[in-house]
Amino acid sequence: MPGWVEILIRTISLVVILFLMTKWLGKKQLAQLNIFEFISGIVLGGVVAIHTSNTDTRMIYGILAMAIWFAIPYAVNFISLKSKAFRNFTQGRSTVVIQDGKIMEDNLKKEGYTTDDLLENLRSKNMFKTADVEFAVLEPSGTLNVLPKTENKPLTPKDFGLKPSPKKEPQTVVMDGRMMLEPLANLNLNPNWLETELDKLNVSIENVFLAQADSDGQVTVDLYDDQIAVPDPTEKPLLLATIKKCQADLELFALETENKETEQMYQKNSQKAQQAIDLITPYLK
Amino acid sequence: MTVGSHVKGCFSSIKSAEASLEILANKTQSIEAQQAFKQAEQLMTEIKDDLQKQVVFLTQEEPTYK
Repeated sequence: MPGWVEILIRTISLVVILFLMTKWLGKKQLAQLNIFEFISGIVLGGVVAIHTSNTDTRMIYGILAMAIWFAIPYAVNFISLKSKAFRNFTQGRSTVVIQDGKIMEDNLKKEGYTTDDLLENLRSKNMFKTADVEFAVLEPSGTLNVLPKTENKPLTPKDFGLKPSPKKEPQTVVMDGRMMLEPLANLNLNPNWLETELDKLNVSIENVFLAQADSDGQVTVDLYDDQIAVPDPTEKPLLLATIKKCQADLELFALETENKETEQMYQKNSQKAQQAIDLITPYLK
Repeated sequence: MTVGSHVKGCFSSIKSAEASLEILANKTQSIEAQQAFKQAEQLMTEIKDDLQKQVVFLTQEEPTYK
Protein backbone atom coordinates (compact mmCIF):
# COMPACT_ATOMS: atom_id res chain seq x y z
CA MET A 1 0.00 0.00 0.00
CA PRO A 2 1.50 3.38 -0.91
CA GLY A 3 2.11 5.69 2.02
CA TRP A 4 -0.36 8.35 1.00
CA VAL A 5 -3.25 5.89 0.79
CA GLU A 6 -2.46 4.64 4.27
CA ILE A 7 -2.38 8.16 5.65
CA LEU A 8 -5.67 8.90 3.92
CA ILE A 9 -7.34 5.87 5.45
CA ARG A 10 -5.85 6.53 8.90
CA THR A 11 -6.85 10.17 8.89
CA ILE A 12 -10.42 9.58 7.79
CA SER A 13 -11.04 6.73 10.21
CA LEU A 14 -9.48 8.60 13.17
CA VAL A 15 -11.41 11.76 12.40
CA VAL A 16 -14.63 9.76 12.37
CA ILE A 17 -13.77 8.11 15.69
CA LEU A 18 -12.77 11.45 17.25
CA PHE A 19 -15.98 13.07 16.03
CA LEU A 20 -18.13 10.31 17.48
CA MET A 21 -16.30 10.47 20.82
CA THR A 22 -16.70 14.21 21.11
CA LYS A 23 -20.41 13.91 20.33
CA TRP A 24 -20.77 11.17 22.91
CA LEU A 25 -19.24 13.26 25.68
CA GLY A 26 -22.14 15.66 25.46
CA LYS A 27 -22.90 19.27 24.73
CA LYS A 28 -20.44 21.26 26.75
CA GLN A 29 -18.67 24.35 25.56
CA LEU A 30 -14.93 24.56 25.80
CA ALA A 31 -15.16 26.96 28.73
CA GLN A 32 -17.37 24.58 30.70
CA LEU A 33 -15.08 21.58 30.37
CA ASN A 34 -13.83 20.18 33.64
CA ILE A 35 -10.18 19.35 34.14
CA PHE A 36 -10.50 15.74 32.94
CA GLU A 37 -12.33 16.64 29.77
CA PHE A 38 -9.87 19.40 29.05
CA ILE A 39 -6.82 17.16 29.42
CA SER A 40 -8.34 14.30 27.48
CA GLY A 41 -9.31 16.67 24.70
CA ILE A 42 -5.70 17.75 24.25
CA VAL A 43 -4.36 14.19 24.50
CA LEU A 44 -6.92 12.82 22.03
CA GLY A 45 -5.88 15.48 19.54
CA GLY A 46 -2.22 14.57 20.05
CA VAL A 47 -2.85 10.86 19.61
CA VAL A 48 -4.73 11.49 16.39
CA ALA A 49 -1.98 13.78 15.10
CA ILE A 50 0.75 11.19 15.73
CA HIS A 51 -1.15 8.32 14.16
CA THR A 52 -2.26 10.16 11.08
CA SER A 53 1.13 11.54 10.08
CA ASN A 54 3.33 8.61 11.11
CA THR A 55 2.76 5.37 9.22
CA ASP A 56 5.28 3.43 11.37
CA THR A 57 3.02 3.35 14.41
CA ARG A 58 0.44 0.66 14.80
CA MET A 59 -3.04 1.94 14.20
CA ILE A 60 -4.62 -0.38 16.73
CA TYR A 61 -2.50 1.07 19.55
CA GLY A 62 -3.67 4.51 18.61
CA ILE A 63 -7.31 3.48 18.73
CA LEU A 64 -6.75 1.73 22.05
CA ALA A 65 -5.12 4.82 23.56
CA MET A 66 -7.99 6.98 22.30
CA ALA A 67 -10.53 4.59 23.75
CA ILE A 68 -8.86 4.76 27.18
CA TRP A 69 -8.59 8.53 27.10
CA PHE A 70 -12.23 8.68 26.14
CA ALA A 71 -13.31 6.18 28.80
CA ILE A 72 -11.74 8.10 31.70
CA PRO A 73 -13.69 11.38 31.32
CA TYR A 74 -16.77 9.37 30.42
CA ALA A 75 -16.49 7.42 33.67
CA VAL A 76 -15.80 10.60 35.63
CA ASN A 77 -18.88 12.17 34.09
CA PHE A 78 -20.95 9.11 34.91
CA ILE A 79 -19.87 8.92 38.56
CA SER A 80 -20.29 12.70 38.90
CA LEU A 81 -23.93 12.36 37.92
CA LYS A 82 -24.48 9.88 40.74
CA SER A 83 -22.42 11.32 43.57
CA LYS A 84 -22.33 14.87 44.90
CA ALA A 85 -19.13 14.29 46.90
CA PHE A 86 -17.32 13.05 43.79
CA ARG A 87 -18.64 16.01 41.83
CA ASN A 88 -17.27 18.42 44.42
CA PHE A 89 -13.90 16.74 44.11
CA THR A 90 -13.71 16.67 40.30
CA GLN A 91 -15.53 19.87 39.37
CA GLY A 92 -14.83 22.00 42.40
CA ARG A 93 -17.44 23.99 44.31
CA SER A 94 -18.54 27.55 44.06
CA THR A 95 -17.02 30.08 46.44
CA VAL A 96 -18.93 32.96 47.95
CA VAL A 97 -16.90 36.15 47.50
CA ILE A 98 -19.45 38.75 48.60
CA GLN A 99 -22.11 38.03 51.18
CA ASP A 100 -24.59 40.52 52.66
CA GLY A 101 -22.69 43.23 50.82
CA LYS A 102 -19.38 42.38 52.52
CA ILE A 103 -16.35 41.09 50.62
CA MET A 104 -15.02 37.77 51.95
CA GLU A 105 -11.27 38.42 51.85
CA ASP A 106 -10.34 34.93 53.05
CA ASN A 107 -12.27 33.26 50.24
CA LEU A 108 -10.69 35.58 47.70
CA LYS A 109 -7.24 34.61 48.96
CA LYS A 110 -8.11 30.91 48.87
CA GLU A 111 -9.13 31.13 45.21
CA GLY A 112 -6.11 33.22 44.26
CA TYR A 113 -8.47 35.96 43.14
CA THR A 114 -7.07 39.47 43.35
CA THR A 115 -9.12 42.53 44.18
CA ASP A 116 -8.59 43.72 40.62
CA ASP A 117 -9.99 40.43 39.25
CA LEU A 118 -13.03 40.84 41.46
CA LEU A 119 -13.58 44.47 40.43
CA GLU A 120 -13.12 43.61 36.76
CA ASN A 121 -15.64 40.80 36.89
CA LEU A 122 -18.11 42.92 38.84
CA ARG A 123 -17.79 45.64 36.21
CA SER A 124 -18.50 43.14 33.46
CA LYS A 125 -21.77 42.48 35.31
CA ASN A 126 -22.45 46.23 35.29
CA MET A 127 -21.73 46.61 39.00
CA PHE A 128 -19.28 49.47 39.34
CA LYS A 129 -19.80 49.89 43.08
CA THR A 130 -19.21 46.95 45.38
CA ALA A 131 -21.67 48.55 47.79
CA ASP A 132 -24.44 47.77 45.28
CA VAL A 133 -23.77 44.04 45.47
CA GLU A 134 -25.71 41.89 47.87
CA PHE A 135 -24.17 38.53 46.98
CA ALA A 136 -21.55 37.32 44.54
CA VAL A 137 -20.37 33.80 43.95
CA LEU A 138 -17.40 32.49 42.02
CA GLU A 139 -18.47 29.42 40.07
CA PRO A 140 -16.18 26.44 39.47
CA SER A 141 -16.06 27.42 35.79
CA GLY A 142 -14.47 30.73 36.78
CA THR A 143 -17.39 33.05 36.09
CA LEU A 144 -18.63 35.42 38.74
CA ASN A 145 -22.37 35.61 39.32
CA VAL A 146 -23.80 38.62 41.05
CA LEU A 147 -27.03 39.36 42.89
CA PRO A 148 -27.52 43.14 43.15
CA LYS A 149 -29.16 44.68 46.19
CA THR A 150 -32.92 44.92 45.82
CA GLU A 151 -32.91 48.64 45.08
CA ASN A 152 -30.42 48.10 42.24
CA LYS A 153 -32.33 45.34 40.53
CA PRO A 154 -34.04 46.13 37.25
CA LEU A 155 -37.79 46.65 37.51
CA THR A 156 -40.01 43.79 36.48
CA PRO A 157 -43.79 43.69 35.91
CA LYS A 158 -44.00 41.97 39.30
CA ASP A 159 -42.69 45.11 41.03
CA PHE A 160 -45.58 47.08 39.54
CA GLY A 161 -48.08 44.43 40.58
CA LEU A 162 -48.83 43.78 36.92
CA LYS A 163 -49.77 40.38 35.61
CA PRO A 164 -48.76 40.17 31.96
CA SER A 165 -50.45 37.52 29.87
CA PRO A 166 -48.41 34.37 29.50
CA LYS A 167 -46.82 34.04 26.08
CA LYS A 168 -45.85 30.74 24.55
CA GLU A 169 -42.93 30.46 22.17
CA PRO A 170 -43.67 31.40 18.55
CA GLN A 171 -43.30 28.74 15.88
CA THR A 172 -41.52 29.27 12.59
CA VAL A 173 -44.05 28.10 10.02
CA VAL A 174 -42.33 29.14 6.77
CA MET A 175 -38.60 28.96 6.12
CA ASP A 176 -37.02 29.90 2.76
CA GLY A 177 -40.40 29.82 1.05
CA ARG A 178 -41.20 26.33 2.26
CA MET A 179 -43.91 25.39 4.69
CA MET A 180 -42.77 23.72 7.92
CA LEU A 181 -45.30 21.07 8.82
CA GLU A 182 -44.11 20.11 12.28
CA PRO A 183 -44.24 23.61 13.83
CA LEU A 184 -47.68 24.06 12.28
CA ALA A 185 -48.83 20.85 13.93
CA ASN A 186 -47.44 22.11 17.26
CA LEU A 187 -49.93 24.98 17.04
CA ASN A 188 -52.77 22.62 16.04
CA LEU A 189 -52.96 24.34 12.68
CA ASN A 190 -52.93 22.96 9.14
CA PRO A 191 -51.43 24.08 5.80
CA ASN A 192 -54.83 25.39 4.66
CA TRP A 193 -54.90 27.77 7.56
CA LEU A 194 -51.45 29.09 6.63
CA GLU A 195 -52.47 29.56 3.01
CA THR A 196 -55.52 31.53 4.12
CA GLU A 197 -53.44 33.73 6.41
CA LEU A 198 -50.91 34.42 3.63
CA ASP A 199 -53.77 35.20 1.26
CA LYS A 200 -55.08 37.68 3.79
CA LEU A 201 -51.67 39.40 3.76
CA ASN A 202 -51.75 39.22 -0.03
CA VAL A 203 -48.39 37.42 -0.37
CA SER A 204 -47.52 34.14 -2.06
CA ILE A 205 -45.57 31.53 -0.13
CA GLU A 206 -42.69 31.56 -2.66
CA ASN A 207 -41.98 35.14 -1.69
CA VAL A 208 -41.89 34.45 2.05
CA PHE A 209 -38.41 34.14 3.50
CA LEU A 210 -39.59 33.58 7.06
CA ALA A 211 -42.98 33.47 8.74
CA GLN A 212 -43.67 32.99 12.42
CA ALA A 213 -46.96 32.33 14.15
CA ASP A 214 -47.48 33.12 17.83
CA SER A 215 -49.55 31.03 20.21
CA ASP A 216 -52.67 33.06 19.31
CA GLY A 217 -52.25 32.20 15.63
CA GLN A 218 -51.07 35.66 14.60
CA VAL A 219 -48.67 35.52 11.65
CA THR A 220 -45.75 37.86 10.98
CA VAL A 221 -43.79 37.46 7.74
CA ASP A 222 -40.53 38.60 6.22
CA LEU A 223 -40.45 38.67 2.42
CA TYR A 224 -37.65 38.21 -0.07
CA ASP A 225 -38.85 41.34 -1.77
CA ASP A 226 -38.31 44.03 0.84
CA GLN A 227 -40.02 46.65 -1.35
CA ILE A 228 -43.42 45.15 -0.59
CA ALA A 229 -44.96 46.51 2.58
CA VAL A 230 -46.65 43.89 4.73
CA PRO A 231 -49.45 45.11 6.96
CA ASP A 232 -49.02 44.56 10.69
CA PRO A 233 -51.43 42.08 12.20
CA THR A 234 -54.62 44.01 12.95
CA GLU A 235 -57.01 41.35 14.15
CA LYS A 236 -56.49 41.87 17.87
CA PRO A 237 -56.27 45.69 18.01
CA LEU A 238 -59.33 45.83 15.78
CA LEU A 239 -61.29 43.54 18.08
CA LEU A 240 -60.38 45.61 21.13
CA ALA A 241 -61.35 48.81 19.30
CA THR A 242 -64.69 47.29 18.25
CA ILE A 243 -65.59 46.33 21.79
CA LYS A 244 -64.53 49.75 23.10
CA LYS A 245 -66.67 51.46 20.47
CA CYS A 246 -69.68 49.32 21.38
CA GLN A 247 -69.19 50.13 25.04
CA ALA A 248 -69.16 53.86 24.23
CA ASP A 249 -72.26 53.45 22.00
CA LEU A 250 -74.16 51.68 24.76
CA GLU A 251 -73.31 54.50 27.17
CA LEU A 252 -74.53 57.02 24.61
CA PHE A 253 -77.81 55.14 24.11
CA ALA A 254 -78.29 55.11 27.90
CA LEU A 255 -77.98 58.89 27.93
CA GLU A 256 -80.27 59.40 24.94
CA THR A 257 -83.20 57.22 25.93
CA GLU A 258 -86.01 58.56 28.06
CA ASN A 259 -87.34 55.19 29.04
CA LYS A 260 -86.03 54.33 32.55
CA GLU A 261 -86.06 50.57 31.96
CA THR A 262 -84.22 50.80 28.66
CA GLU A 263 -81.69 53.15 30.22
CA GLN A 264 -80.96 50.61 32.92
CA MET A 265 -80.63 47.87 30.31
CA TYR A 266 -78.11 49.94 28.33
CA GLN A 267 -76.15 50.81 31.47
CA LYS A 268 -75.99 47.19 32.56
CA ASN A 269 -74.73 46.12 29.14
CA SER A 270 -72.22 48.96 28.99
CA GLN A 271 -70.80 47.70 32.30
CA LYS A 272 -70.63 44.19 30.87
CA ALA A 273 -68.72 45.47 27.85
CA GLN A 274 -66.31 47.28 30.18
CA GLN A 275 -65.85 44.04 32.09
CA ALA A 276 -65.04 42.25 28.84
CA ILE A 277 -62.52 44.96 27.89
CA ASP A 278 -60.74 44.65 31.25
CA LEU A 279 -60.72 40.89 30.88
CA ILE A 280 -59.13 40.63 27.46
CA THR A 281 -56.93 43.74 27.24
CA PRO A 282 -53.83 41.94 28.61
CA TYR A 283 -54.22 39.22 25.99
CA LEU A 284 -54.75 41.58 23.07
CA LYS A 285 -51.71 43.75 23.78
CA MET B 1 -79.73 58.13 11.04
CA THR B 2 -82.44 57.08 13.37
CA VAL B 3 -82.05 55.63 16.85
CA GLY B 4 -83.02 52.26 15.40
CA SER B 5 -80.21 52.22 12.86
CA HIS B 6 -77.66 53.32 15.51
CA VAL B 7 -78.69 50.45 17.75
CA LYS B 8 -78.62 48.07 14.80
CA GLY B 9 -75.06 49.14 13.97
CA CYS B 10 -73.96 48.56 17.53
CA PHE B 11 -75.75 45.20 17.49
CA SER B 12 -73.82 44.02 14.43
CA SER B 13 -70.51 45.25 15.89
CA ILE B 14 -71.18 43.23 19.02
CA LYS B 15 -71.96 40.21 16.88
CA SER B 16 -68.68 40.59 15.00
CA ALA B 17 -66.73 40.99 18.25
CA GLU B 18 -68.40 37.87 19.60
CA ALA B 19 -67.33 35.89 16.55
CA SER B 20 -63.75 37.22 16.67
CA LEU B 21 -63.52 36.27 20.33
CA GLU B 22 -64.71 32.79 19.54
CA ILE B 23 -62.08 32.41 16.80
CA LEU B 24 -59.34 33.64 19.15
CA ALA B 25 -60.52 31.32 21.92
CA ASN B 26 -60.25 28.37 19.56
CA LYS B 27 -56.91 29.42 18.09
CA THR B 28 -54.94 30.27 21.21
CA GLN B 29 -52.66 27.71 22.85
CA SER B 30 -52.69 29.18 26.34
CA ILE B 31 -55.47 27.96 28.61
CA GLU B 32 -55.66 31.23 30.56
CA ALA B 33 -56.11 33.27 27.38
CA GLN B 34 -58.73 30.82 26.18
CA GLN B 35 -60.71 31.22 29.40
CA ALA B 36 -60.52 35.01 29.22
CA PHE B 37 -61.70 35.01 25.60
CA LYS B 38 -64.54 32.62 26.41
CA GLN B 39 -65.71 34.75 29.33
CA ALA B 40 -65.61 37.88 27.17
CA GLU B 41 -67.53 36.01 24.49
CA GLN B 42 -70.16 35.05 27.07
CA LEU B 43 -70.50 38.72 28.06
CA MET B 44 -70.85 39.70 24.41
CA THR B 45 -73.58 37.10 23.95
CA GLU B 46 -75.51 38.54 26.89
CA ILE B 47 -75.24 42.06 25.48
CA LYS B 48 -76.25 40.79 22.05
CA ASP B 49 -79.40 39.12 23.41
CA ASP B 50 -80.48 42.32 25.18
CA LEU B 51 -79.76 44.45 22.12
CA GLN B 52 -81.67 42.10 19.86
CA LYS B 53 -84.81 42.64 21.92
CA GLN B 54 -84.22 46.38 21.70
CA VAL B 55 -83.71 46.21 17.93
CA VAL B 56 -87.02 44.34 17.51
CA PHE B 57 -88.75 46.85 19.74
CA LEU B 58 -87.32 49.82 17.87
CA THR B 59 -88.30 48.41 14.49
CA GLN B 60 -91.86 48.27 15.75
CA GLU B 61 -91.58 51.83 17.04
CA GLU B 62 -90.15 53.19 13.78
CA PRO B 63 -91.99 51.26 11.07
CA THR B 64 -91.31 53.95 8.49
CA TYR B 65 -87.55 53.52 8.73
CA LYS B 66 -87.58 49.75 8.54
